[in-house]
Amino acid sequence: MSKDDTNVQKRRILSRKRSSILKSQWFYLLIAEVTIAIITGLVNPRFFTTSNVMNILEQIAVLGIVSSGMTLLIISGEIDISVGANIGLSSVVMAMMIKGGYGYLLAVLVGIALAVLNSLLVGITARAFKAPSFITSLAFISVFQGVALAITKGSFQTIYGQFEFIGTFRLWQIVPLSFLISIAAYIVMHFMLSYTKLGRRTYAVGSNPSAAFLSGISVNKAKLTAFALNGLFIGVASMVLLSRIGAAQPSTGSGTELKAIGAVVIGGTPLAGGKGRIIGTFFGVLLMGIISNSLNMLRVNPYFQTVTFGVLIIASLAVSVLSSYKKKEKIKPQSVREENS
Amino acid sequence: MQRNPIVEMEKATKIYGNHRALNDVSFELLPGEVHCLVGENGAGKSTLIKILSGAISPEAGLIKIDGKRVEGLTPRQSIEMGISTIYQDAELVDSLTVSDNVYLGDELTGRLPFVVDTKRQTDKVNEIIEALKMHLPTNVLVEELSASQKQMLQIVKALYRDAKVLIMDEPTSSLGMDETKALMDIVRNLRDRGIGIVYISHYLEEIFEIGDRVTVLKDGRSMRTFPIENITVEEIIRKMVGRDASLFYRRKKVDIGDVALEVKNISSWGVVDSVTFSVKRGEVFGIGGLVGSGRSELVNILFGADRADEGEILLNGKKLKIKSPHDAVRHGIALITEDRKKLGMLGGRDIVENTALVHSENFKGFLLDRKEEETLTDDIVNKLSVAAQDKSQKIEELSGGNQQKVIIGRWLIDDSDVYIFDEPTKGVDIGAREQIYELIIELAERGKCIIMISSDMPELLSMSDRIGVMRNGRLVDIVQNKDIEEEDMIKRFIGV
Repeated sequence: MSKDDTNVQKRRILSRKRSSILKSQWFYLLIAEVTIAIITGLVNPRFFTTSNVMNILEQIAVLGIVSSGMTLLIISGEIDISVGANIGLSSVVMAMMIKGGYGYLLAVLVGIALAVLNSLLVGITARAFKAPSFITSLAFISVFQGVALAITKGSFQTIYGQFEFIGTFRLWQIVPLSFLISIAAYIVMHFMLSYTKLGRRTYAVGSNPSAAFLSGISVNKAKLTAFALNGLFIGVASMVLLSRIGAAQPSTGSGTELKAIGAVVIGGTPLAGGKGRIIGTFFGVLLMGIISNSLNMLRVNPYFQTVTFGVLIIASLAVSVLSSYKKKEKIKPQSVREENS
Repeated sequence: MQRNPIVEMEKATKIYGNHRALNDVSFELLPGEVHCLVGENGAGKSTLIKILSGAISPEAGLIKIDGKRVEGLTPRQSIEMGISTIYQDAELVDSLTVSDNVYLGDELTGRLPFVVDTKRQTDKVNEIIEALKMHLPTNVLVEELSASQKQMLQIVKALYRDAKVLIMDEPTSSLGMDETKALMDIVRNLRDRGIGIVYISHYLEEIFEIGDRVTVLKDGRSMRTFPIENITVEEIIRKMVGRDASLFYRRKKVDIGDVALEVKNISSWGVVDSVTFSVKRGEVFGIGGLVGSGRSELVNILFGADRADEGEILLNGKKLKIKSPHDAVRHGIALITEDRKKLGMLGGRDIVENTALVHSENFKGFLLDRKEEETLTDDIVNKLSVAAQDKSQKIEELSGGNQQKVIIGRWLIDDSDVYIFDEPTKGVDIGAREQIYELIIELAERGKCIIMISSDMPELLSMSDRIGVMRNGRLVDIVQNKDIEEEDMIKRFIGV
């Protein structure tokens, strides 16, 4: 007993190791990405041209922005499957305002505010009626789509030749601005998750809402903040998307929610909440971009691309289960030692 | 008349970790007998019935059912051999009708295969119900039944399976007077039909009303079995308590100061009824009572997790407005919750986040100070000698005692005036237990008010300066902890 005591005394400062790289899902994603890139590059050398690489980065920009917001929301223990419909509604509103001559700034601000409001509605209804946000966001898909159809009367809103800057600008003529915006989104989200009270709260309410509440955290406030930020990112993504396409319709963005949730899960954030890192999401989104581009380069039937996406999610679940098995093996000897002491 | 026992248990021992939950206990049950089991919380009653129902298997000992020795008893075998256990609320499917529940998994089919013959089922269930003179509708959903009707349904279900032994665990704890009486009648009826009944209850009067024999358990040991006519309430209570001095912690004396916390007429309709008490600086105010007496509900109100319908809380003479735990924390009240896993730990997060949780949330600005968090965690880890590999270890990977130390540590970073401990050492090994006691006393020495809820009698008696007794939502007694006997406390808890 006394010997053990001195051992404890000696270990004055515990290290806080960065979790081993082998335990991180993003590391496996990186390996997968490099492998796929090399194989594709060998078959079709055009894969590694600057223009193709920039093309990939441009294509994953919108998904990346949306997925950053989704990561926060999923960590907080909630989910939003109305993202696509929300993008549709806010981008048609932006497009109509630009068409109506209200000016870019006002149009963008109103569009983003609308996206925030929409996401908040999903959250507020879920919290108020004690329903899962999966269900309330399911309901709001039709609401957002319906409103978008009503105000556009189902027509295409084109703004060709206007508001092209964000979508077309390339830094040093190479790097697409939209990709830089998505990188900014990742960085902002990473900063929030790791260095602010807001991030800490998000993990806490996602991990154990009762414990969080009894530690003085307002669970409602924390979750609604996550919804609002999710909306903010959706709004920014709508802006980028509109600028790149130059047109919007109610169905713009549909299907984005599934891709975003998929990217978050592939990146190692469990839907149960309380865990996850933005770097995982980054590599998850990148993997989806690389695979989709590779399949094109390899001239695979586009229908199979959809199949690949599903298989990818299943594979990522397998990876996270396997790595948690490994962890359990590591814990055992340690707890036995504790009992003996 | 010589009857052979249906169930015999000889020298059974069950060990959890290094704790003997059941130690060399022998027990027998005759057909047509109500055999009562009594003892304090944690005396081993539940362990004993879990062994009989096959839920757990003992490390040592022998079980005979109907004179035949059985080994490796599983719940299924136990039921097949005629032993049915009635738990408080288990095993019923709320969305099915009463008769469907009885036949669940064993449905009667009519002429067409796969089609359940509801009528035949209902008729058969009604037969059993009438034979027992119960009031139980057969065609309503279980979710519409009252607590007592659910108990009755479980009895019906057991009888349908030809139970020869019924184990009833605290069957009356959620029943009213009339319902209890009705249940007693049914139990007598069952006994007369030759069914052996193991009956567990905190309420000693019930035991004298329907019991034939009573076995007293204490700290996992059997204190013998008595025919009910040869023993009195006083004697049973005496057998339940009276422990070695070694189980008691010898605490330091602490100077007690002025009154700091005053709780006046706190009520929450139906749960807590007009509770008034005060705690002085440096004082440990213990709160005891049976499970369900409103103890945890009371502290939830003090901490702002639940709202009071009435009453006020004063700290240092100032009236507090507490609407949420956040308010309570800001006013200097800390709560170390009872259920670590459910209410305390952020399971998947590391030690630093779990330790710094309260500090960063309530006493810091928008940005986290990660350097400070780590230094504070080091202090706590050293002070409470938490055994961990490194700070990035997840709290769920630590042992129970170390988890509890981290949870307590979270409240030591910023000074509070009032520390509420709800079952501070539940599921904690003996070594860590003493450390936690030392810590509580140290807080008292620093002039904090301590409120400690405990179901552990030695803990309550060795730690508290005064003990408040909760019964049915009321604080019925406040006793000075001076030369007070366990026996006396139990009597106050039960209300005899």
